[in-house]
Amino acid sequence: MVSFLIRRAATLVVTLLVVSVLAFLIPYAGKGDTARKILRARVNDPALDPAQVEALTKELGLDRPLYQQYLDWLSHAVRGDFGFSYTSRTPVHDLVIPALGVSISLALAALLLALVFALPLGTWAATARGGKVDNAITFVSQSSVSAPEYWIGPVLVLIFARYLGWFPSGGWDGPIYIVLPAVALSLRPLGYFTQVTRAAMSDVLGAPYFTAARSRGLSYRHSLARHGLRNSMLPVMTLFSFWFAGLLGGSVVVEVIFNIPGMGRLLYTSVLNNDVPVIQGAMMWILTLAVLINTATDLLYGVLNPSIRVASHA
Amino acid sequence: MPRTLTRPEQQPGQPPQRPTSLRSATPHRPNVLSMMVRGARGRPWTFSIGCAMLALILLILLLTPWIAPHDPATQDLTNRLAGPSPEHWLGTDHLGRDVLSRLMWGGRFSVTIAAITLVICGVTGIVIGALAARRGGWLDELVMRTVDVLICFPDVVIALFLIAVFGTGYGTLIAALTITGWTPFARLMRGLALEINAKDYVEAAEILGSPKSYIVFRHVIPNAIRPVLAMGFLRFGHKLITVGALSYLGLGVQPPDSDWGAMLLDAQPYMERAPFLGILPGFAIFVTALSVTMIGQGLDVRKIRRKRALAPEPPPGVQTQLEVGEAV
Repeated sequence: MVSFLIRRAATLVVTLLVVSVLAFLIPYAGKGDTARKILRARVNDPALDPAQVEALTKELGLDRPLYQQYLDWLSHAVRGDFGFSYTSRTPVHDLVIPALGVSISLALAALLLALVFALPLGTWAATARGGKVDNAITFVSQSSVSAPEYWIGPVLVLIFARYLGWFPSGGWDGPIYIVLPAVALSLRPLGYFTQVTRAAMSDVLGAPYFTAARSRGLSYRHSLARHGLRNSMLPVMTLFSFWFAGLLGGSVVVEVIFNIPGMGRLLYTSVLNNDVPVIQGAMMWILTLAVLINTATDLLYGVLNPSIRVASHA
Repeated sequence: MPRTLTRPEQQPGQPPQRPTSLRSATPHRPNVLSMMVRGARGRPWTFSIGCAMLALILLILLLTPWIAPHDPATQDLTNRLAGPSPEHWLGTDHLGRDVLSRLMWGGRFSVTIAAITLVICGVTGIVIGALAARRGGWLDELVMRTVDVLICFPDVVIALFLIAVFGTGYGTLIAALTITGWTPFARLMRGLALEINAKDYVEAAEILGSPKSYIVFRHVIPNAIRPVLAMGFLRFGHKLITVGALSYLGLGVQPPDSDWGAMLLDAQPYMERAPFLGILPGFAIFVTALSVTMIGQGLDVRKIRRKRALAPEPPPGVQTQLEVGEAV
């Protein structure tokens, strides 16, 4: 267990360092130097004053060796300080943290919605395996996995916001604003959750301990709830946290469609505006959280299921 | 739905009469093509439907230059956002261009880009996974740790990162989808290769003195091809959706080229006046992704069923081995 932990921790640190180097290098990879880019983002004038460029280069310390700049940047970054946005000139921190909150609530809403439907559907399919119900549920899950958010989203807006007027078409002002984006975002996880639940439940139903529980006189429902749910929850929870980590920055499309001020849209607009500090800050936050959440899941998995610790981890 | 196994030597509920030791000493070389042609025997009904749908879609896209009713770029500003008519079967878009023709030409971009990235990811993942399993040691450790990390990065975020650095373009698009895309293949291939490496025929090849790389390419990879192919089909749908997502954000396929995602983007301002304009390209993505998902899951089923048939207590039915999707 100890070597498992050490290896995980080492992977984590190395990953974050590599990611930080990449994020740091963003402004240096493109054409032109950084000071010019910053000025160009601030003033809409192709001909820049050379003196101004010079002054900004000095001010930001861009004339120092690259590794010094990196260490300087990193020492600020680990404290959550990514500097100021080129365009709005507010600290990146103040942009990222609220956006993160929005993305977390959206992701949780979507995934919980998916889970609420997927667990019963998957269980139902597993108990009726090979039958019409199973076929229907499999088809539905395959369909929902194949439905792009940027297709479902606008259609939902058209029906429920424009024609029926039940929900707002976009924005982020209260609980009702979360409904349509959460539904659009939940479809694909719903399909995957259903399939994983069905597969895990099928295993449970064929397992000796399930037969044993039945033969002890426990009702089918009771056995299913006691043994089935608990044992099939592990793979579902793994998938849940995987999706959760992915949606923190990966729900770009839905956030853009519904005009939600989350991480995805923040990253998207900063890429469009070439707002480097915001790109760096958002990237670091998203990727760090993704790696942290997945590492935490692996550790939790190891705690809940002792056989993982012994087996060589793939 | 009859679910009997059609292989004559397999009696339901009984282990098959098969000399397993001999079998495992003989390399099993499935022919991918004949496997596809032998078709839907013993697979769920969705498999055949998926194949038919995909074949039809590919046929249409292949024949587009000859059967497309109009030029996709010809504008007719007097006939904008028109509904279906004998002249324009699916109506016209905001510039009066024929929607059916644009769907056909756009599909060629969507499907080609998804296919190219898929092949790159597949080949990279297969080779890396197989080599990692064969060599073991630090290489294996390095590969698997890299996979662990990359697999949890959302690919749209990686794409945005690359676009921030290199700008938009087909190269960036394909690179963005490849950086994280090879990891599931590598992970799957490594697992399969570890199993295959323990087989007698691999040991036989080792005793004969075959070099490691020969064993990997001659024995390990060919014998792992079916599950990898299944994953390939499943991933294809995912790639298609991601390519569409980037185009929908205006960062994928750039004008004057246009794919299904870009068509959806163009249609957004006109959703109320011409809803079909914003529904048809998405439907095209959906149908194509659905067809490959059906094929992929259908391909996977046979493997599981055979494994089950060899197990001491074969429970009836099928189980889907699923590669987790990534968020878009």
